[in-house]
Amino acid sequence: MMHCTMEDLGAVRAGEGSVWARRHITTCAACRGELEALFQRVAQLKALPALHPPRDRWPAIQATLRAERSRRRRTWGTWTGSLALAATIAAVLLVQPPRGEQGKLHAELNQAKQQSATLEDSLQQYDVDGRVLSGHAAALVADLEDRISMLDGTLAQQEHVTHGGDAALVKLWQERVGLMRELVNARATRARYVGL
Amino acid sequence: MTVALAVPDVIVARAQAGDEAALEALYRAFETPVYNLVRRILRRPEDAEDVLQETFLEVVRNIKQFRGEGYLWGWIRRIATTKALMRIRREQVRETESLDEEPGKPGMHVGANLDLERAFDRLSETSRAVVWLHDVEGYTHEEIADQMGKTVSFSKSQLARAHARLRRMLDEGAQA
Ligand SMILES: [Zn+2]
Repeated sequence: MMHCTMEDLGAVRAGEGSVWARRHITTCAACRGELEALFQRVAQLKALPALHPPRDRWPAIQATLRAERSRRRRTWGTWTGSLALAATIAAVLLVQPPRGEQGKLHAELNQAKQQSATLEDSLQQYDVDGRVLSGHAAALVADLEDRISMLDGTLAQQEHVTHGGDAALVKLWQERVGLMRELVNARATRARYVGL
Repeated sequence: MTVALAVPDVIVARAQAGDEAALEALYRAFETPVYNLVRRILRRPEDAEDVLQETFLEVVRNIKQFRGEGYLWGWIRRIATTKALMRIRREQVRETESLDEEPGKPGMHVGANLDLERAFDRLSETSRAVVWLHDVEGYTHEEIADQMGKTVSFSKSQLARAHARLRRMLDEGAQA
């Protein structure tokens, strides 16, 4: 007599058994027993106790996370630092500044870049790698850092396609100055709390 | 193990804002279900620990992208499963079916002591993955096939083969 294969039983369990298999199950005690055993194995597997991680992996995850955040901050430090330097050199070399609207934008751009660089310097004082920021301050700082990172991505693209006097570029740099100012404030507030 | 995990929305929101304490709370809530899932699939405990760490690194890096569609556990579980399956594929060399066929191997605790958990441990990692994901986690064969990059019939036949082996091992254990 032909019996159900394990695949037949699996199909019956899933409600997808062939006509033959479904009929066979009703008449064959051996196959009914196999199907019952299958159900029991699955129930036993589901009832197995949870296995717990033998070691705490959070410290390693946290260390990686902090290293990534601080690397990101250092990356804008160098990137914007060299841009600010370029801006200063350009300003010095500019014997005859462009006139009119273009000249005004140019001046605004240089001003924003220099403010950004100054704020970057202030931030170094509050560089709190390793110091625990928690709750609201940490959330705010992380959010600002992310927004500045994203903005820097946009800026890096813009710098390649436009010349110094572009209004969009000025707007982006001014936005960056605003975010940097908030970031310095968030850090400074925290530093006051811990008595620095 | 059935997971019925609910994390307060406020914790998720704080984690998405980068709050370290909230990220750690997520880790604490899910470390055991994630570890249990990947440890059931992977043979070596140290591999499971590595996958646990890789999974949460991805979770903390991408939590902002979690939009709340579907449960957080579903989202985390998918990351963990993908990483465990990737590890099996990457180290396919290790993936030998031979272990399944060596009931007499010393130190394997064969005989009357062979309970379901031990029998399950002796399946290949691919078989373990299919059985665990289908029978315990409730994945469909379509979902398993999709995550493994295999066909639905591969998933179905793997499941049937694995159960046939389990049955045989338990049978041999009972008779010894
Ligand atoms: Zn039969």
